[in-house]
Amino acid sequence: MAVKLTKEEKTGVTTSFLSFKLAEEHFAIEVKKIMEILEVPRITKVPQTPDFLKGVVNLRGGVLPVIDTRTKFGMPQVDFTVNTCILVLSIDINDETITVGALVDSVSEVFEMEEKHIQPSPTIGARYRSEFIKGMINEKDQFMMLLDIDKVFSAADIETILETHNEIEEAVAE
Amino acid sequence: MKLTYIEEANELLANLEISLLALENNSSDKTCIEEIFRVMHTLKGNSSMFGLPVITDFVHDLETIYDKVRSGEMELNKELIDCSFLCLDHIKVIIYDADLENVVNKENHFELLKKIGGFIEEAGSISVNEKKESQAVRTVYVLFEPSAKIFDNGTNPLFLVSELASMGNSKVVPHFKLSENQAHDECFTYWEIFIETDRSENEIRDVFVFVEDNAEIFIKELPFKNVLKNKHFNDLVSKNMYGDVGTNMEELVHLLSDQQNNEPVADAKKEVVIETDVSEAGAIHSNKKVSKEVKEKGATSIRVSSDKLDELMNLVSELVTTQAGLTLFTAKNKTPELETISENVEKLTRRLRDTAFGMTLVPINNMFGRFQRMVRDISSSLGKEVEFVTEGGETELDKTIIETLTDPLMHILRNSLDHGIEKAADRVTKGKSPGGKLILKSFYSGVFVYIQIIDDGKGINVETIRDKAISKGIIKSTDNLSDKEILDLIFYAGFSTAEKITDVSGRGVGMDVVKRNIADLRGNILVESEVNVGTTLTIKLPLTLSIIDGLLVTVDKVNYIIPLSVITKCYSVKNEDMANNFNRLLTLDGEQVPYINLREEFGYTVQGSGETLLIAVNNGDRVVGITVDMIIGEYQAVIKPLGRHHKKQDFVSGASILGDGTIALVLDTNKVIDLYTNNIKREEKTWQLN
Repeated sequence: MAVKLTKEEKTGVTTSFLSFKLAEEHFAIEVKKIMEILEVPRITKVPQTPDFLKGVVNLRGGVLPVIDTRTKFGMPQVDFTVNTCILVLSIDINDETITVGALVDSVSEVFEMEEKHIQPSPTIGARYRSEFIKGMINEKDQFMMLLDIDKVFSAADIETILETHNEIEEAVAE
Repeated sequence: MKLTYIEEANELLANLEISLLALENNSSDKTCIEEIFRVMHTLKGNSSMFGLPVITDFVHDLETIYDKVRSGEMELNKELIDCSFLCLDHIKVIIYDADLENVVNKENHFELLKKIGGFIEEAGSISVNEKKESQAVRTVYVLFEPSAKIFDNGTNPLFLVSELASMGNSKVVPHFKLSENQAHDECFTYWEIFIETDRSENEIRDVFVFVEDNAEIFIKELPFKNVLKNKHFNDLVSKNMYGDVGTNMEELVHLLSDQQNNEPVADAKKEVVIETDVSEAGAIHSNKKVSKEVKEKGATSIRVSSDKLDELMNLVSELVTTQAGLTLFTAKNKTPELETISENVEKLTRRLRDTAFGMTLVPINNMFGRFQRMVRDISSSLGKEVEFVTEGGETELDKTIIETLTDPLMHILRNSLDHGIEKAADRVTKGKSPGGKLILKSFYSGVFVYIQIIDDGKGINVETIRDKAISKGIIKSTDNLSDKEILDLIFYAGFSTAEKITDVSGRGVGMDVVKRNIADLRGNILVESEVNVGTTLTIKLPLTLSIIDGLLVTVDKVNYIIPLSVITKCYSVKNEDMANNFNRLLTLDGEQVPYINLREEFGYTVQGSGETLLIAVNNGDRVVGITVDMIIGEYQAVIKPLGRHHKKQDFVSGASILGDGTIALVLDTNKVIDLYTNNIKREEKTWQLN
């Protein structure tokens, strides 16, 4: 009983989440990972990059790479609407913190939830790589996927994608 | 804390090295000895402050030697300087191992201590007698007036006073400067100390070496003996004890000279001495003022962490960008007042930018100093006589450039010493002077800094290089290369011309790394050589890494910046000429020029008609055309890194933010061309396979 209590205590921490939409799907990200939300400025596309690397924007004098989350998750691209915005995320890769922007269709709300309410994803094969998803959250009868953004937006991941891309190309070439 | 110590110690040791080298060349240079002594003293102080007794004692012994050299008690000889260098190297090691945990360090340590001890003993036996005669007991007056804030850095002035008092018989007269609004943590005491001692004025001054900046110190020798027991003297100096008024020197001198006049020893000559002293004593106050001015001058440089400088540079860069935005806005909304303001802001921003960028520049001398030592050691280990000359050490370069440059330069110098400069005997048979000459110089030219390494050695034999390159399969024997192209082969990976591998150089890794490091700094390296006359390597570098002059162009509505430094000319060409161009050559000014269509290269739609602009850029020795849609104009670009997400796109060397807040990509044209040629090769491969 005592053991169970401490476990209860551990998972009793309340965390803030931000929910957003991509197409008709709902997602959530821990608020502590989000530095700010931007309107979409003019994006400069860097040539010869994979499609999900949308380009770079000016973030108060710095250069912020922007990732098209839709493309990353294999959804069709759409034109920007007034609701389209960029989540500025700080992600940790190999003890290094870097900042990236993620394009999303619209942000919904910020809500709080105890960590114990996060359920494991019951999926048996998703369109999105399951390691990207930390779990499922049910907020006001709306299920949403909690993303592990360190994994989703890591450059390392991008590099491997690029390499395999190049390898395939080279294999084709030979 | 420890890091601060090590950082500072390294800096001190570097200074020490420079002074020692200078001393070696000119052993009678008094200022060098002074400098060495001063640096050692500071190092000793720092070490004891950080609680490192091993280093403190070691430096103390070394300092003792130089104190003796300074006072002329000891001869400076080669042995001593060599020993000093060994000690220096040892200190460099033990600042990281202050407890001598490493056995080798420990052995070294004691061996060196023995050596130093030997020097001290030797000097001691000669000078003991002299010392007694030359340094008779005198009376010295010391005024020690700490500044009010002296406690802030943890100094206890009483320790200093008692240290001083222990130098001989003394009389200490404290005074208080009381004022209305005295803070409780301020020092309001000052001391007058009369000591009868045989110590020199320098030794007395050394007591105060750490508080020099925080206190007024005035030291004066009084021409009297045995005054401390003199009743009149005691009465006079004690009169004002604890008061705000110091001893009236004039009165004191009068009193004492009267007394001594009555003594039989006094004669006319002495009188004169006293007279002059009186006037000097009266000048105490003006003297004090002068010393204060000197001190203020001394404190004109401060240490700033490089993080803060980076932050400043970032802010300035942002300001430049914002200012560009203001200029753009003003151009659209023509209001006279706004234009004036905008112009002023522009002027100020430019000045601020130049000042801020100037701050990140450091004189290249810091690096040259390090090489002095290296060249000395290597040339003596190789048994070659080499005169190493550095010129233009005041040339300033970005700190990061200097840091990246150290290793490549070191490598080049090593090569020159090892393979370039011949042994004395060989030189003589060739009719050259037995000692070789190695010149390292740097100078500005336009927005570039040039660094040259010139030796008068045997030069590089083009035929040898050619044969070697053929045997290594780098070139084919049928290849027809110019001498210059052959010389450039030395930068090829895996190319080493040395017949014998030494530990100094010649492992075959190196020159290619040198070239790559310099290319990373957006610079290039050129080699010229003549057999038996010598070799000159010229490195050309941009002044700073973070700002470039570029040409702003667009390709499919995306802004790009091409560095002006690579651009030779701009042309207008017809798209039809390019549409069905079989070998991708255009005739420009009567020359066939290969070109790259950026639209095609970057995957935009290619225009079939109309005109397009072609920018001719330098790519090594050739000129390559790059087509763009539009040229907007010259632009001073502050380069920002693109970040790791775009690591693969290395043809974009960075991004710059334009006045309207959008981003322009800075192109590295050499990489664009590399990329293109690689793609072509790949295509050819596919074609061959099919």
